Amino acid sequence: MPRPALFPLALIFAIATPAAAQEPTYTLVVKDHKFQPTEIEIPAGKKIALIVKNEDPTPEEFESVELRREKVIPGGEQIIVYIGPLKPGRYEFFGDFNPATARGHIVVK
Amino acid sequence: MLGTAIIVFREVLEAALIVGIVMAASIGARGRGLWVSCGIAAGVIGAGLVALFAAKIAAAASGIGQELLNATILLLAVGMLGWHNIWMSRHGRELAVTARAVGDAVISGSRPLYVLAVVVGLAVLREGSETVLFLYGIAAGGGVGAGSFITGGALGLAGGVAVGTALYLGLLRIPTRRLFTVTSWMVLLLAAGMAAQAAGYLVQADLLPPLGDAVWDTSGVLTEDSVLGKALHTLIGYVSRPDGIQILLYVATLAAIWLLTRLVGRPVKPRTVGSLSRGAATPLLVILLLGATGAGSAAHAQLKVRYPIVDYREVEIEPFGDITFDKPKSGLSNNQRYTIEYGFGPLPNWFVEVGHELAAPNGENITYDATEIESYLQLTPTGKYFGDLAMFAEYEHPLHRGDPKSFAFGPLAQTEFGEIAGIGALHTLNLLFKRTVGNNRTDATEFDPAWQSRLLLNPLFQPGLEYYGQINEILNPGKAADQQHRIGPAFVGVNNFAPYGKLKYEVGYLFGLTDATPRGTVRFRLEYEIPF
Repeated sequence: MPRPALFPLALIFAIATPAAAQEPTYTLVVKDHKFQPTEIEIPAGKKIALIVKNEDPTPEEFESVELRREKVIPGGEQIIVYIGPLKPGRYEFFGDFNPATARGHIVVK
Repeated sequence: MLGTAIIVFREVLEAALIVGIVMAASIGARGRGLWVSCGIAAGVIGAGLVALFAAKIAAAASGIGQELLNATILLLAVGMLGWHNIWMSRHGRELAVTARAVGDAVISGSRPLYVLAVVVGLAVLREGSETVLFLYGIAAGGGVGAGSFITGGALGLAGGVAVGTALYLGLLRIPTRRLFTVTSWMVLLLAAGMAAQAAGYLVQADLLPPLGDAVWDTSGVLTEDSVLGKALHTLIGYVSRPDGIQILLYVATLAAIWLLTRLVGRPVKPRTVGSLSRGAATPLLVILLLGATGAGSAAHAQLKVRYPIVDYREVEIEPFGDITFDKPKSGLSNNQRYTIEYGFGPLPNWFVEVGHELAAPNGENITYDATEIESYLQLTPTGKYFGDLAMFAEYEHPLHRGDPKSFAFGPLAQTEFGEIAGIGALHTLNLLFKRTVGNNRTDATEFDPAWQSRLLLNPLFQPGLEYYGQINEILNPGKAADQQHRIGPAFVGVNNFAPYGKLKYEVGYLFGLTDATPRGTVRFRLEYEIPF
């Protein structure tokens, strides 16, 4: 008796690549366990994409309690974090693996 | 050294608290130490692997691999914790009785310890991978001496374990009788908190709308940076500035698990002669009960037409159901079935739904019947060709172990074609095939065709005609009288309450065309969609 093949299931549950981000993009660099720049200004009430590049060979974690964001950036890699829409104000962020040196903030206007 | 110790402590704390709760929740169960140890060991190995492949994970799925992994781990844990509570509410009474019989010593029985082991493993995996990455960074970065590095890590680990142990010992002071109630509540809050955390990750990955940024702000009182804040974050899901969606998921998880423990968890009472004679006061009830025992249940496939077009960047909640009508003794009357589905369109061509089904066969109480997960993969760009085409797949997991699990799949097609009095018409066709797997499976391939044509009169009101069929074995369809065929009118409409979302409705009445089909079926469907 013929049985339906199972391979269509794999196809059905396969995930295609999402569309590219249309949000305004800002870039942050981690070097020598410090963020550059340490201040980023973004508009209020708008979602943005923040790219964090880690130029150190060691991993770092981009973290912000105020923004409720945490994401590991492996050494030499980069990540993207979506932020907002936010109310005007100042939002601190830090590198969780080097909190003494890696610090910065986002100013929302 | 102190810096290392503090960071390791913070990472270990969460996993340690979860292990503490799990150990208390499984007190008295034979072999729990082994299960929990295996969970921890598997978690540590998993953490190492995640750390090792951190770069691959970070780059996966267009850069949102980490969020997807974290959300998946958390939601898996939520499912496991929910299942634990449902199981406990169903069997907790037996456990308490056994505990008394053997003098509170050992409660044997087949408690789902693997569930708790998986939760422990997942917690260790999640927190452990960050700890490994952090320690690797320090070790590779140099600067710190090996001695101070190892001491710091060990101190942090010891501190975390100490807090977890303290929680466990504290819980042990509660009398066994009440301990399960306390741990069930803790597990419930733990699960709700994890669901909110998962929502946070999905917002970060831009896969869920925040539905309000920082709905309230209690960071002036307590932040998650502090040890107490971090502990409460784990234990009850404390977030000082929660997104709206986090609050929504927290409350929804609480409600769902609580409701399921109520609905499913009640010990099953066999229907006795006593209950029958009690029902004799109501003649109708007697007839219904007799009808139920007289004829087999007339299960039927879900009566809804599925549309191939994916609602990209939308979340939705969709309750639908049907009730059958026939002669009282036929066994075909008063079969009720209700499903609630939660859907989500993360990609332009992919929509996923999870749902739970409640059923009340003729004369019986409504009970939880099955859990389902559905996938819609849209194959053609909307409107590009003559028709739109999607591939549908569904997995259904029944509550009762005796019932077979099933897979359904097949094409969904839709086209706008023809007109009546200048009004366009929309036609939708579903051809679904269903196979059972696992316990009590059959070799049959069920065929469930569905078709709907409706006039696009007005967004609020579109009248149409529908057909639903069900052939239990397509390779040996048998007599038409044994198959189910239904046809009847339907009304569909939608109203856009932008920016609050769209509300769709469908109602229909279906006439049974064969002896095996109930004479009448009323069906309804509501859909609330929120774009993000």
